[in-house]
Amino acid sequence: MFTSNPFAELSASIAPSVMQTYIVVMIILVALGTIYDVLHKKSAQYFRANMQKSKAEGSKVGGGEKISIAIKTAVVDVAASGEFCNTKRRIAHLLGMYGFVFFALATVVMVFCYPTSDVATPAIWPQLWWLGAAMVCVGGYWFWFFIRADVSAEGGSPFRLMKADLFVLSLLGSATFALVWGYLQAKGHDWTTIAFWLHIIFTTILFGSVPWSKFAHMFFKPAAAFEKRLSVANGTRSNLPAPADQPEQFGSVDHRPRNY
Amino acid sequence: MPTFVYMTRCDGCGHCVDICPSDIMHIDKTYRRAVNIEPNMCWECYSCVKACPQNAIDARGYADFAPLGHSVRVLREEEKGTISWKIKFRNGHEKNFESPIRTTKWGTIPSPADLPPPSEEDFKSQELAHEPDVLNIDGGLPALTRDQLKKGVV
Amino acid sequence: MGLFSRRKTKFVDSDVLVIGGGMAGCGATYEARHWGRDLNIVCVEKANIERSGAVAQGLYAINCYMGMQWDENQPEDHVRYARNDLMGLVREDLGYDIARHVDSSVHKFEEWGLPMMKDPETGRYVREGKWQIMIHGESYKPIVAEAARKAATKVYNRIMVTHLLMDKKKENRVAGAVGFNVRTGDFYVFRAKAVIVAAGGASHIYKPRAVGEGMGRTWYAPWSSASAYALPIQVGAKMTQMENRIVLTRFKDGYGPVGAYFLHLKTYTENAFGEEYESTWYENTKELVGDYVDRHPVPTCLRNHAFLEELKAGRGPIRMVTKEAFQDPHKETVGWENFLGMTIGQAVVWASQNIDPKFTNPELTTSEPYVMGSHATCSGAWASGPEDYAPDEYQWGYNRMMTVDGLFGAGDTIGGTAHKFSSGSYTEGRIAAKAAVNYIKDMGKEAPEVSEDEYQQLKKTVFKPMENYEVGRNEIVAGTVSPSYLLPIQGLQRLEKIMDEYVGGISAHYMTNEHLLTRGLELLEMLREDMEHIGAEDLHQLQRAWELNHRLLASESVTHHTMFRKETRWPGYYYRGDHMKLDDNDWHCFTLSQYHQQSGEWELEKAPVYHIVD
Repeated sequence: MFTSNPFAELSASIAPSVMQTYIVVMIILVALGTIYDVLHKKSAQYFRANMQKSKAEGSKVGGGEKISIAIKTAVVDVAASGEFCNTKRRIAHLLGMYGFVFFALATVVMVFCYPTSDVATPAIWPQLWWLGAAMVCVGGYWFWFFIRADVSAEGGSPFRLMKADLFVLSLLGSATFALVWGYLQAKGHDWTTIAFWLHIIFTTILFGSVPWSKFAHMFFKPAAAFEKRLSVANGTRSNLPAPADQPEQFGSVDHRPRNY
Repeated sequence: MPTFVYMTRCDGCGHCVDICPSDIMHIDKTYRRAVNIEPNMCWECYSCVKACPQNAIDARGYADFAPLGHSVRVLREEEKGTISWKIKFRNGHEKNFESPIRTTKWGTIPSPADLPPPSEEDFKSQELAHEPDVLNIDGGLPALTRDQLKKGVV
Repeated sequence: MGLFSRRKTKFVDSDVLVIGGGMAGCGATYEARHWGRDLNIVCVEKANIERSGAVAQGLYAINCYMGMQWDENQPEDHVRYARNDLMGLVREDLGYDIARHVDSSVHKFEEWGLPMMKDPETGRYVREGKWQIMIHGESYKPIVAEAARKAATKVYNRIMVTHLLMDKKKENRVAGAVGFNVRTGDFYVFRAKAVIVAAGGASHIYKPRAVGEGMGRTWYAPWSSASAYALPIQVGAKMTQMENRIVLTRFKDGYGPVGAYFLHLKTYTENAFGEEYESTWYENTKELVGDYVDRHPVPTCLRNHAFLEELKAGRGPIRMVTKEAFQDPHKETVGWENFLGMTIGQAVVWASQNIDPKFTNPELTTSEPYVMGSHATCSGAWASGPEDYAPDEYQWGYNRMMTVDGLFGAGDTIGGTAHKFSSGSYTEGRIAAKAAVNYIKDMGKEAPEVSEDEYQQLKKTVFKPMENYEVGRNEIVAGTVSPSYLLPIQGLQRLEKIMDEYVGGISAHYMTNEHLLTRGLELLEMLREDMEHIGAEDLHQLQRAWELNHRLLASESVTHHTMFRKETRWPGYYYRGDHMKLDDNDWHCFTLSQYHQQSGEWELEKAPVYHIVD
């Protein structure tokens, strides 16, 4: 099950060209959705104005330094989800992020390069597909039920839905039903088709709802992380005072039991 | 000045929700990030500002009387036992301050239960815990006598 | 509370229940553990004890410290000071009791890690004034909260206590409390042998000067919702001096503190024409209060009075002359850090208006009235005094016990103990805790019991505002205007307007009389009836609804007391237009009230004042 390509089996009922078109459409929806979101909210205009203000108030940062900041952002903030200061949140995010990367990449490779049973699919791709979807589920459900602030800090029920849940729920739906579909298809179960279409529905919502969900933050956050590092480098530090020039000798206590 | 949260800095961790003495820092339903839901009950105590690990919270003086363009930001560093402030006036004038906040390690205050228990006589006396020693005076706990208090006008 | 979850009832049993986790509550929790090694000590707080209460942002001075170790002051000196400032009317037995212990609390704070400012030559705490010492107190509250957490069996955060519970076996004895979890909506029943009320006094009962966002900038914390008064009043505990509301002269808009300015920086006030004005009102003030005007230092209310008269005469604004002092860089630092460690908002106001005290003398203003028990004011519950010397009329068994058995109080809760501030409130918590532990020891096996009928009924009462909203919401399309329910903020604004116009708020220049007070009571009564129809959309609004409820009950008490005292004892705090003079013949006494919940009647009487013989 874990080494066979689920899309190859699916190509018996759905033509590879249809699957491939669907993936291209999803990518376009994300791009269009993000561009629309940025234009509609004028967020790029805001961001540019903010950068200019910071540049005007701060000292000059050389090109070389800017590149090194960009690399640090990419490695620490993006690749290692370094902005999270809470370990649990960070791990859950890493699971979800890399899970999504493996899952999406494996899907694209299998659908475009190994769409039918004619060409043998290297085992690594289905394995990454299963692993990725499972990682999304572990990180995602952990976040959903325990970590998210409206549950952990506000005491909200995990079953209460709000607009901010659109991204994470559609992602979880897509990954969960992918796993269910993969499993049912391997067993030849009657409900295979239903599971597949549920997977497609959630996947479509995920990629199609970009203007209304937090999906686009995936692109905004690295830009913001870069801007934050830059503001430290140019001395403006977002108007924050500089760290005190004192030794770290008093420890700190994580006195954060669930405060209710 | 009530508080507000920077979109690009907040990652929805909930520390501010936990700490706010007024129960006004909550999680926005569209972005799952923090928001001040009742600025007219905000005392500007800066508890949320200090508690935010991302320095994502800032304050803007009450619109009733504070013109725009000022900034009062803080960095509370528990491990260094310091608090640092940067004040920027509307006219650009700047002031910086740094103070200590603690002289002992966080978490090291002993429980009274770790110290020797009081005797039966101690219960009957007027002395409180650690007294009379911690008063650091001679002659024991001061007291009045009943006849020193009289009714009337003084 | 969300979909699919049912409201649970949770029971918490304890020996000592401390309601409120501020300075007084943290002091009580700590001390209770010292005396009750095996006792179950519970502290319950509607916010988070790490930063709850009036000391949330920190303090820059401890305003009640004798310095007995250096022969700086003796407890009876402090009593005379407080008596003087309150125009003769303080509980001198209680005040002496706090003053003799407070130094030990302050020394413990230093030991625990509070940075004290010290004179490098003498090693003594730097004095701001005779009673005040200077600290770097940004983390004052987290430090005392840490000590309380170590001492408590359990600290419950985010649970608002709404009512006390009485013993079903023995009359007039407390048995616990009820409340709700502000996060989960669960109903809590606390069963205890002794209860210490250490909740907040009353801010937001009078209309503030700023009414938009600026409403938040009260001098005393906006989360002090008078629970310290409402909880005891409801169960028939006697209250005292509830008319003794305080008005503060502070920096304009931000209400930033002036103590360090006057005492340490030696700044002074002048009118708009650069003239000294306080002495020009001497004769006027003497007309009202007689020889009290000659006391030193000048009582707080009389300084206010001169300020107000000067403004009314058209010579405002009054300013604090800071330009001279701020030329000294050390004084300038103190002047700013004074705010940053205590009232950050004042720094924000000055930054926003380009006010640099080096170049501009900032404006002062008088605040709206507040009712609390730890400052230059002493409203609160009538409590039993120290066993070793309190007069018989002030003593009925256990120190700081109210007129309800087993119900103790500390901090803003207790009346008659002016000028105790943070350290004194903490100390009073300690005093109450020791007494509560002794009370429990003496009780033996005869523990109080809560009544199931009572708490089941209260459960319905506590959550009724949410039901009002859910049901009433069906009537209208949307918006805040409903004919059948009021939002908590709407009720609060009505309360503040009533108190402002009829009970001596800022729009009346703090003036009232019997006619105004009578009309005020009528309007408060209608608001009381409307409280059945408060609508709370969620748990946060439910907290606001109960805060309003507590504020209203305290306001009713304040109004009754103000009506009862037929004199103007504290001009500058408030005036009785129909009895403008101080009257030591009839009114050198405390006012006491008792509320009877069944009948809704208020009973008022006088109580004698005992003074330390000089």
